[in-house]
Amino acid sequence: MAEELRVAAETTVADLDRRAEEAGADYEVGLESLSQWQLAWRKFRKHRLALVGSVILGSFVVVALIGPIIAPFEFLNVPEPDQIVYAGRGPSLAHPFGETGGLQRDVLTLVINGARTSLFIGFSSMAIGVFIGTIVGSIAGYVGGFVDNLLMRVVDVMLSLPILFVILVFARFFGNGRGSPLLIVVIFGVFSWMGISRLVRSLFLSIREREFVEAAKAVGVRDRRIIFRHILPNAFSPIVVSASLIVAANIIGEAFISFLGFGVDPTSPTWGNILSSALTFIPVGNWWWPFFPGLAIILVVLAVNFIGDGLRDALDPRSRA
Amino acid sequence: MTETLTTPTPLGSPPPREVLLEVRNLKTHFKVLDGIVPAVDGVSFSLKRGETLGIVGESGSGKSVTALTIMRLLDIPPAEILDGEIWFDGREILSIPIDEMRKIRGNDMAMIFQEPLTSLNPVFTIGDQIAEQVELHLRVRKKEAWARAVEALKLVGIPSPDRRAKQYPHEMSGGMRQRVMIAMALSCEPKLLIADEPTTALDVTIQAQILELLKTIQDRTDSALLLITHDLGVVAEMVNDVIVMYAGQVVEQGTVDEVLLEPHAPYTMGLIESIPTVEKRGGRLSVISGVVPSPFNLPPACRFEPRCPYRWDLCRRVPPELYKAGGPGQLARCHLHSPEGESRRQAALDKHRENMTVGRLFGKGS
Amino acid sequence: MTKYVVRRISQAIPVLIGITIVVYLILALAPGGPTARFAQNPRMTNEAKEAFKKAWGLDQPWPIQYCRWMGICNPNASNVAVADGFLLDHIPHPGSFVGPTGWPNFLPNFISGSSNGVLHGDFGFSIATGEHVVTRIGRAAVPTLILAGFALVIWITIAILIGVFAAIKRYSFFDQAATVFAYVGFAMPTFWLGIMLIFAFSGPGLGILPAGGITETRLFPAFGTDAYWAAFGRNPIGALLDIGKHLILPVFTLVVVNIAGDSRFVRASMLEALNQDYVRTAKAKGLPGRVVTFKHALRNAMLPVLTNIGLEIPFLFTGAIVTETIFSWPGMGNLTIQATRDFDYPVLMGVLLIAATVTVLANLLADVAYAFVDPRIKY
Repeated sequence: MAEELRVAAETTVADLDRRAEEAGADYEVGLESLSQWQLAWRKFRKHRLALVGSVILGSFVVVALIGPIIAPFEFLNVPEPDQIVYAGRGPSLAHPFGETGGLQRDVLTLVINGARTSLFIGFSSMAIGVFIGTIVGSIAGYVGGFVDNLLMRVVDVMLSLPILFVILVFARFFGNGRGSPLLIVVIFGVFSWMGISRLVRSLFLSIREREFVEAAKAVGVRDRRIIFRHILPNAFSPIVVSASLIVAANIIGEAFISFLGFGVDPTSPTWGNILSSALTFIPVGNWWWPFFPGLAIILVVLAVNFIGDGLRDALDPRSRA
Repeated sequence: MTETLTTPTPLGSPPPREVLLEVRNLKTHFKVLDGIVPAVDGVSFSLKRGETLGIVGESGSGKSVTALTIMRLLDIPPAEILDGEIWFDGREILSIPIDEMRKIRGNDMAMIFQEPLTSLNPVFTIGDQIAEQVELHLRVRKKEAWARAVEALKLVGIPSPDRRAKQYPHEMSGGMRQRVMIAMALSCEPKLLIADEPTTALDVTIQAQILELLKTIQDRTDSALLLITHDLGVVAEMVNDVIVMYAGQVVEQGTVDEVLLEPHAPYTMGLIESIPTVEKRGGRLSVISGVVPSPFNLPPACRFEPRCPYRWDLCRRVPPELYKAGGPGQLARCHLHSPEGESRRQAALDKHRENMTVGRLFGKGS
Repeated sequence: MTKYVVRRISQAIPVLIGITIVVYLILALAPGGPTARFAQNPRMTNEAKEAFKKAWGLDQPWPIQYCRWMGICNPNASNVAVADGFLLDHIPHPGSFVGPTGWPNFLPNFISGSSNGVLHGDFGFSIATGEHVVTRIGRAAVPTLILAGFALVIWITIAILIGVFAAIKRYSFFDQAATVFAYVGFAMPTFWLGIMLIFAFSGPGLGILPAGGITETRLFPAFGTDAYWAAFGRNPIGALLDIGKHLILPVFTLVVVNIAGDSRFVRASMLEALNQDYVRTAKAKGLPGRVVTFKHALRNAMLPVLTNIGLEIPFLFTGAIVTETIFSWPGMGNLTIQATRDFDYPVLMGVLLIAATVTVLANLLADVAYAFVDPRIKY
């Protein structure tokens, strides 16, 4: 009876001949086919930058989750009056990221606590944006006609506005500088969906006409099934890539509005409002205060971008494993 | 080292005057991530002035790479020209500096590519694209270059050439674009025209026109034509001599009648047999069993061996040379035509003849 | 071609109208309203707030306010007395749709005789300073134009240079360095870069470049005032050098992120062009390498790049907000922040409207320019 053997792809016919001869048997060659996801995972694993990015992002997430427990200090800690140096102190063994001016807080603790809020805002707002965008795009692309036209005009108008500006105004008016992170999440989410909706819509439009949808319809597959089994999986890759860009943009955006004082309430630190409080102390020269939070932002954004690149290559059905 | 080459010319000295192009033992390899692809592995042929040679083969046989090597259009990493000499018009062109080669390209030697739409620059008018070549090689002023461009368009049969010259490639049909490419190739009156699958991307009716055009042009200008194609029908109409390539090697060469009517290499036999003809009506379609070998995993001796219906154990051990077979200039790379294959030779040739005429008329397997 | 332009313009008009409505809605419906600035002030009684609202016409229903703001309705109809632009009394109706000359109010001044509202160039009055909004914006526009102008030129030039040479010398050290720079620069928040630059160059460290402002206040009067221009006339070189010195850091901050992003795009576009069949044809014709690269490939590569740049111009505005804040640059970005802090609605609406309109126009221009340059576009 037949025995199944798996061999490496590099095995030559000569090798197989030899082994067959040794075993005194005959053989047949078949190909193992991997599913789309397995292929994608393999490709992703080979992408060095993406792996680096994943490691970085992973560490930040871990820090965000367990951070306040392991942070060296309570961030609201106020030191003894005789310990206070107006300008704060630079990086030292006890305070690896230095101490802030004014209230003399440990910068490392601030950065760790800030990680939580900033990452939360970045990812949640992306989730909202993707959700809204997919729905709007699907409706526009699938229904077409007047509805499509109307929705796309709305998108056009919204995209003409300087988004950050509008977010700023909203943040100010609704939050008045004492906004909760949730409010910021919602505001960013509400303004992040436009790109995704266009993407999804164009995918629907192009895929609707493609041959395999025709084929499915010809066989009699129902509409809803067509959407879920045939169209959406193709949309997955570009949406994921867009989503990674949105996360990066929103993290920077949140930092931006917090920096201007219109974002999250300073009692819960985000990397942005840490930078904001550092602004007034510039003349004193304590560079470490804004440096480390900014560095954190750069690393996270880089990581997300790398992962986005890796995902794009991995999910592209045409790229080689 | 055997009775393979007709008149062996010693390496290093130019071929006789009437030979315009001579390729000797050309080897071009590609270094890629997964290994080395020996795209062209010891190919030799020659082309006399004013004559036509067809190179026939499947995709991956190395025919296009041969042409690109002759023009030296390959990107040197990843490509590498390992060995060989190419003599063109009395000069060895693989060893000259690239600047010298540029003077030859477009001037004495021109190439027509397969896909005319992508091969033409979309942002310049076709008149400009032809004229710039003329200006460069013939050292004439802009106005005269433009006039010659229009002339070239007329030569290839494009109506109202002065108007067309101001148009952009996307404004023309596929057939007309290919005519433009031909005009561009001819604009400096080259001695050698290389056509790489010139009609593959076109409709059948247009194909015929373009081939007709190439023939006419060739007669008129007396340039030599190297025609690369996978289509045996095209070859039958257009060329004097033909070489058949498989997996980077020449497996058969000879005149068109010799090779197509009386093939002596099993691969060629298989190709000819697979053409559906009237005699075979009602039978099964004949195919060559197996698949083209991966370039990373070539059979160690004869490369066609795994698929060959006439193989025997010698074929697995010793790589065959090009032996004289059949007509006066005909060569085939097969042990059947070596001394060792003497006993099996006639049987194979007879089998082929049988396959061609009797076919599988009544549905019975072979 | 003109048909195409006309078509694009007519497509843009509904978008512009939509923008005015959305801008108005955003600010009209935001909580707090213009009286929010008084929210903390215990001395503002409710009557005072009502009177304030009445004086500014803010107690009307919002469609009427929109109408007035746009200049479709004229509140200065009969029975209304006007003094210094303030409404002393008002009628609870939109005012007349018809201008003083009898023509519809929304038509230009020389037809309708009307001069109120956005359509006639009147953006209302700043709640914070009481000046015409147009005046405030106008005064802030010049510094922003200077900043953005320099930034634009530098950004485009450098991005194209870097991208093209990175593509030509692919995988060389230059290319790899450019790639690293692109990734990092793109991930960098502009304001962080600005702060770090200030620390580096103006702080207690080097102190060679000014930390803010557009002029050295000890040497010159405030920018834009008459006194300034007088001083400018007396010492033009000095004044220009002074502005130049103050421009260095803000422009640098503003362009880095854009260069980082665009240079990758230029590189990708150039690589794609270099891989095309027509480049092989050009080589086959015997053209020298320079011609092949810079004539055949570059021309094609620049098409998407130019469109991309055109679309990114409006983002200079957002970048300006940050940069101007950090460097105390008296431009429109700074104005925006101030107005946001002051809940100064008319100014915000004016700035927002202008920004959105500029965006739409920039997109329009990018489209038309592309159609002009690429012969494949059928219009």
